[in-house]
Amino acid sequence: MKDKPTVEQYLKNIENGDFKAYKCQECDAVVAPPSGACYSCGGTDMEWTSVSGKGTLVSYTVIHVSPDEFVDEVPYYVAIVKLEEWTSVTGRLMGFDPLKPEELEIGMDLVLDYHKGKSGKTYLAFREP
Amino acid sequence: MVSAAQTKFGRLKGLTLREIFGEAVDKATIHSDIPKEDIQAAFIGTFIPEMLVHQGHTAPLLIDFAGMRGIPATRHEAACASGATALRSAIMAIESGLYDTVLVAAAEKMSSVSTNKATEALAAAADDKFESSMGLTFPGVFGIAAVSHMEEYGTTEEDMARIAVKAHKNASTNPLAQFQKPISLEKAMDSRYIAWPLKLFDCSPISDGGAALVLTSNEKAKEYTDTPVKIAGTGQASASMNLCDRAHLTSFDASIAAGKTAYEMADLGPEDIDVAVVHDCFTIAEIIASEDLGFFEPGHAVDAIRDGETELDGSKPINPMGGLKAVGHPVGATGVKQIVVIYKELLGEAGKNQVPNHDIGIAHNFGGTGASSVVTIMRRYDA
Repeated sequence: MKDKPTVEQYLKNIENGDFKAYKCQECDAVVAPPSGACYSCGGTDMEWTSVSGKGTLVSYTVIHVSPDEFVDEVPYYVAIVKLEEWTSVTGRLMGFDPLKPEELEIGMDLVLDYHKGKSGKTYLAFREP
Repeated sequence: MVSAAQTKFGRLKGLTLREIFGEAVDKATIHSDIPKEDIQAAFIGTFIPEMLVHQGHTAPLLIDFAGMRGIPATRHEAACASGATALRSAIMAIESGLYDTVLVAAAEKMSSVSTNKATEALAAAADDKFESSMGLTFPGVFGIAAVSHMEEYGTTEEDMARIAVKAHKNASTNPLAQFQKPISLEKAMDSRYIAWPLKLFDCSPISDGGAALVLTSNEKAKEYTDTPVKIAGTGQASASMNLCDRAHLTSFDASIAAGKTAYEMADLGPEDIDVAVVHDCFTIAEIIASEDLGFFEPGHAVDAIRDGETELDGSKPINPMGGLKAVGHPVGATGVKQIVVIYKELLGEAGKNQVPNHDIGIAHNFGGTGASSVVTIMRRYDA
């Protein structure tokens, strides 16, 4: 955990079902997805941190027309979720009917999870607590 | 600006990128009585020919095909804002005194690949590592913005459909538009979802097309025309690529910043604008852009749309030729085509799509998820 965090490792962590965010060593702000500079103070020294996995729904869409890679997964949700640690990430939403998107509520509570898609990739995902 | 022209937009079967580019250049030069020999440098916009037509290093290739081998030619890439960034470089090159007369030209050939492949190419304008790699598409990006706008301001799917109806109505009298048929509100509302809540008719199409401009110094302009159009202001800004890194999703910071810079340079405000062209890659994008540029208070653009204020004969006409939505969106060419529209409108040469007041116009071109935005303000020579 003392290693300097990298984008490659961030993505590997998601693939392994072990999400970690960056934490700014200057001001302790939690940063995810990775950025070369802290949103809050501009600091560039980062370390890994764990997150609670709790978040709320900021906004979302349901993809019906996709690139070839995801064509076997449509229709699927993509959402912006604000983590309890005050940084937002983009992920899939699981456990909701993609043909009834109007039933979701902005601000609803979600928890972090993972979803292995038909594309073979593991996505950062969120579901109801 | 002493000349401006565009090709037909649409699925231009049998024409390659270079031929579309060459036609745009010819229309802006020899067909407009401007000798190609006068052009000292070319500023070229293309977005992603590497994926669409398997061709990189397009600037020398295209300028050679257009008959101007030898002059400096540089490609500008800022996704959908590629064209307007090429224009900005041209403006800076003339203002610096380096050149007198330059060409801005842009083209994209998109119909040579499948829709899924084009969707994939377009997705390269979003962050590959954290957003597009999990299947977020461009319609999806704007679907997310639409959901936020609907939640915050009560905007409806019908409001967005009204933008599509207006676009198709305006394009129906534009012979260079991809779609030249009006559509009903019902037809727009009944179309299938591409990325909920955006439907087929909320999305700009996949298109081929090109556009070109000739710019020259203030001193030289009268050698070419008695009616040059002045560039009064230009602004550009960037923002985070990732939507999840934005403080809000109901407006685009880069558009607000670029607009502010352009208004200040021109010493004008939103109330001075007679005609606007905004980047309506999706219907919700026109709503947000018209708020970001200060025409309407946040959340109130839809009132103006319901009241017809943004129609051709309204008090604030927006996208009078039909916008990206109905004229087509050959990505790299769009920013230059928008300038062609304002040029024609200001000179009173827009035919059936002429707006009544046309002293001052504005063009808003943004790239990708709104991570690049360019705003250009133009005035008629006598205004």
